Amino acid sequence: MPMLKLKVNGRDYEVEAGPTTTLLEVLRGKLLITGPKIGCNTGDCGACSVLLDGRLVKSCITNALTAHGKEVITVEGLVEPGEFHPLQKAFYEHYASQCGFCTPGMLVAAKALLDENPSPTRDEVKEAISGNLCRCTGYVKIIEAIMAAAQEMRKKKA
Amino acid sequence: MGKALFFKAADQNEACTLLARYGEKAKVLAGGTDLMARVNRRLLSPEVVIFIGGIGLNYIREEGDNLVIGATTTHADIVRSALVQEKAPLLAEATGQIGSPAIRNMGTIGGNLVNASPAADAATALLALGAKLKLVSAKGQRQVAVEEFFTGPGKTVLRPDELLQEVIIPSKRPGSKWAWQKLGKRKADIVAVISVAIALQMNKGVCSKVRIVLGAVAPVPLLAKRAGALLEGKKPNKALIEEVAKAAAEEMTPIDDVRATAWYRRKVSEALVKRLLSQILE
Repeated sequence: MPMLKLKVNGRDYEVEAGPTTTLLEVLRGKLLITGPKIGCNTGDCGACSVLLDGRLVKSCITNALTAHGKEVITVEGLVEPGEFHPLQKAFYEHYASQCGFCTPGMLVAAKALLDENPSPTRDEVKEAISGNLCRCTGYVKIIEAIMAAAQEMRKKKA
Repeated sequence: MGKALFFKAADQNEACTLLARYGEKAKVLAGGTDLMARVNRRLLSPEVVIFIGGIGLNYIREEGDNLVIGATTTHADIVRSALVQEKAPLLAEATGQIGSPAIRNMGTIGGNLVNASPAADAATALLALGAKLKLVSAKGQRQVAVEEFFTGPGKTVLRPDELLQEVIIPSKRPGSKWAWQKLGKRKADIVAVISVAIALQMNKGVCSKVRIVLGAVAPVPLLAKRAGALLEGKKPNKALIEEVAKAAAEEMTPIDDVRATAWYRRKVSEALVKRLLSQILE
């Protein structure tokens, strides 16, 4: 089987992957990085969302071998040493998570947005998480948390 | 089935050589948004996967009066491109409504075409724009108009040894008018229930080169030729627009499926064609 080299959350890995193995299968099954979730497995729910070279992708429909030589950030990679990411804090403070299954994908999608656009409008936040389904809390608290985190991050930078 | 193989083609020649060797056994992989979803649903188990993401087909450029887009250009790159927004705003608009941000980061214009969904958003827009497709193989190359490309759901004239290299779109000219609308059950990550793309030339109040396209209402993205012909060379008015919309609804052959009934599709398409034409021709 072909070897796949990739960097995940700052660490280098080398694993085997088949011709149709998904990035999600590698992350969860081989590297035991279980933040990204298996939801629909067809690219519809967004629970598996990760950043691939900084771009938001759905890892369940990303062929693992196409990630060769690239850098992956999962929800685990958001944590700064000893400290939660402002997005994670905001989700906690705004009760933006109920069962928690969609949360890793939501956080990664939100990070993709704020990396590119530090001052999003509410509509831009909605668009950014439009590929992520939540079946418990609905979206209002999640949107509020992302708006609050954006504000917090702008304050920190200033 | 023997052991499956994965090839990362180094360039277009290698991709064509591999396709010539493996033909129908091979599946071409670019963004994977369709292919991998079908693998996960166990609808597909390819013996050979040929990855073409690294063969230099990620480009958007102007060539004379055309806008040329490489097959592996992602939807996100197309939406962001100032050149596409200027030269083919209809494509930028339709592409912006494909999937969601992650899907647009992965999926490619070539994939949207070769998967041949009757509901494909970029395909519908490209058909309205009168785009041509450049197909290449180890034996040579040919150009096919988008309206001759699709032959049925999931079926195209692409031969097993051929690769879609690029999409050639006539650039917007003075007097070019267009409109687009997609109807889905939610705003993102949805297959169109109905989509309508219209492009035409309007000079001194007279319509020409009228192309009315309907998505998800026939086995292939449908160019409503009779409806378009009714407007050709005419100065439109309310009664004519209604006649054209009615003609478009008669050309479609919709089906009942999980997304909507045929009856609904026919009714709503007629209303959408009428609305979009009124917007354009006002």
